[in-house]
Amino acid sequence: MNSKRLLNQRNLLMLAALILAALVPLAFRSDQYAMILMTTVLIYAVLATAWNIIGGMAGQLDLAMGAYLGLGAFTAGTLLIRWSITPWIGMFLGGLVSMLFAMLIGFPLFGFKIKELWYALTSSALVTVMQVIFLMWNGVGGPTEVYLPTRISPLYSLRFNTYMPYYYILLVLLVVVIIFNNRIRYSKLGYSLLALGEDEDAVEVLGVNSQASKLKALMIYAFVCGIVGGLYACIYGYLHPSFFSTNMSTEIAILGIVGGLGITYGPLLAAVLLVSFREYLRASLGGGMEGLYLAVYAVILILIALFQPRGLAPLVNSGYRKLQTFFGELRHGKPADVESH
Amino acid sequence: MIETATQSVITGTMMGIIYALIALGLSIIFGVMNVVNFAHGDFVMLAMYLSFTVGTLFAWDAVITPVITVPLLFVFGLITYYLLIDRTLRQMYVVQLAVTVGLQILMRSAALIIWQAQPRALQYSFIQGNIEIGPYSILTSRLVGAVVSLIFIGGIAYFLNKTWSGKAMRAASDDLDVASLMGVNYHRTYALTFAIGAALTAVAGGLLMSFQQTDPQGGVRFGLLSWCVLALAGLGSLPGLIVSGIIVGIAETFAISFIDPRARLLAVYAIFILVLWLRPRGLFGRK
Repeated sequence: MNSKRLLNQRNLLMLAALILAALVPLAFRSDQYAMILMTTVLIYAVLATAWNIIGGMAGQLDLAMGAYLGLGAFTAGTLLIRWSITPWIGMFLGGLVSMLFAMLIGFPLFGFKIKELWYALTSSALVTVMQVIFLMWNGVGGPTEVYLPTRISPLYSLRFNTYMPYYYILLVLLVVVIIFNNRIRYSKLGYSLLALGEDEDAVEVLGVNSQASKLKALMIYAFVCGIVGGLYACIYGYLHPSFFSTNMSTEIAILGIVGGLGITYGPLLAAVLLVSFREYLRASLGGGMEGLYLAVYAVILILIALFQPRGLAPLVNSGYRKLQTFFGELRHGKPADVESH
Repeated sequence: MIETATQSVITGTMMGIIYALIALGLSIIFGVMNVVNFAHGDFVMLAMYLSFTVGTLFAWDAVITPVITVPLLFVFGLITYYLLIDRTLRQMYVVQLAVTVGLQILMRSAALIIWQAQPRALQYSFIQGNIEIGPYSILTSRLVGAVVSLIFIGGIAYFLNKTWSGKAMRAASDDLDVASLMGVNYHRTYALTFAIGAALTAVAGGLLMSFQQTDPQGGVRFGLLSWCVLALAGLGSLPGLIVSGIIVGIAETFAISFIDPRARLLAVYAIFILVLWLRPRGLFGRK
C-alpha cells in the first residue's frame, strides 16, 4: 500500500479528474440546465462520500442524512433571516448543530448497542420525526415555505443568480471530504472503525472503545451533512420541512452501498454515474409520465445490488487493473506490479 | 379528560389490532426467513391502491375488495420473492436493504405513474357510522377492521400450528439445516412465507381503505408502524403481537387527542426507541 506517497498513480488520476471537474463548468457557463445538473450531482457526491465514513468504514447503516441536512439548512437559513448572519458562518454553525444533534442521538444508540438493522430503522425514522417536529414548529415557518432574503449582497447572503459559485463551493467541499476520508482511513480511528465493522466484540476485547469510535464517525458525517444543508438552503432559496427527506436519505445510503462499502471513491463514483443518469432520465422521460424515470432508476439500483453486491468500485478497480496489466505487458513484456487497494 | 382518554383507548385498541395484522406479515417474513423487508409499508400502500381500483371498477365496498386483492398481492409476493429476495438470501443484510429499498422506490414511482400524486379514497363504506355506548362511540369501520384482523391472525395461528406448510415454516425459522434434512424445500417454504406476508397486507389494505385515503408516500407510516410493533412484540408470539399492536395504536390515538394530530408518528417513534434501548428482544420475544 503506497498510499502514503503523494504522487502515486491514483492521486494523479484524482488530480486530473479534479482539474477536469473544475474546468467543465466554464464550457457550460450559459447552459443553466447543465449547471443545475452538475450542482445536483456534486451535492450527492459530497453526501455519499461523507456517508462512507459512517456507513462504509464503521459499518453503521445510517439513513438519517435528511435529519442532519435539514437541521443545517434551518440553522443557516434562520440565522440569515432573523439576524442577517451570513451563511458563510451560518453553514458551519449548521454543521455544528447537526454534529451536536448526532451526538445526542448517537450516544444512547451506540451505548445501548443498537446496530445493524435496528440502527438503520431508527435512523430512518429519525428523518420522519424531524420532519414532523419542524412541520409543527411555527417559529421557523411550520408547514409554509420561508424565503431567504435577497436584499443583501449576493456574496454576503450566498444567494447567486447562477449555479456556478455553488458548484465551486461544493467542489472544494468534496475535495476536503475526500482528503478527510483518506486521512481517517489510515488513522487509528479508521483502523478501529474498519475492524469494528468486521467484528465488534473482538475489537472491544482488544481495548478499542467502539462506542466512541462510532460516535466520532457519526459526528464527522453529521457535520458535513449540516454544512451541505446550509448550502442547500441557499441554493434553493427557501426553507421547508420537506428538506427532511426520507427518500433522499435512503438514496445516499444506497449510493454508498452500490458504490462499494468502505472504498472512498466508490460512493463518489456511484453518485456521479447514477445521479447524472437519473437526471438524464428525468429530462428525457420526465415530460411524459411522472415517476417513470424513478422506476427505471430503481430497476438499475436493484440490478446493481443483485449482480454486483460488492459495489461498482471493485468492478472499476478490476477493469483499471486489467488495463494496467495490459499496458504493462506492452511496455515491459511482463505483467506490471499491480497496486493493491 | 377521562372521557377523551377512554375514547382514545377504545379507538386505539381497534386501530392497534389492524396494525398487528400488518406487522404479522412483516413478522413471519423476518422471523422465518431472516429477511429485512424495508418495503413492507409500501406493500400496504400498494394494497390500498389496488383496493381503490377494484372498488371503483366494480363499485364494490372497500371491505370486500380483498377477495380480489389478496390473490393479487399473493402473486406479487411470489414474483418478488423469486425475482429479488431469493437471490439475496446468502448476502449481507446490507444487500437486502439495497434491494428492498430499490423495490420501495420502484413501488412508489409505479404508484405515481398509475394513480398519480393526489390522494385517493373510496366512496363511503357501508360499515360507516358508529355505535353509541353511553358517552362513547365506536366507529363501525374500525370495529369491523379489528374483528376481521383478529380472524385472520387466528387463521394464521392455525395455519402455523396445524398444517404441514405452517410447521415447515416454523421449522425453517428454528433451524434451516435440520428442516432441510427433514424434507422441507426451503425455497418453496420461503416463497410461501413471503407471499403470505404480502397477502396479509392486502387484507389490511382493504380494511384501511374503508376509512382512509392513500397516496404514493403512504407506505412510510405503515413501515415505521409495523417495525415498531415487531420490535415491541419480539419474534414468535402471536398474542404478543396483538398486545403490541394495541399498545402502539393507543399511543398513537393519545398523541392525536392530547397533543396534535401530526404528533402521532412521534409517539410511535418514542416507543420504538425506548423498546430498542430497554428491551431489545421485545416484550414477548422468544429469541
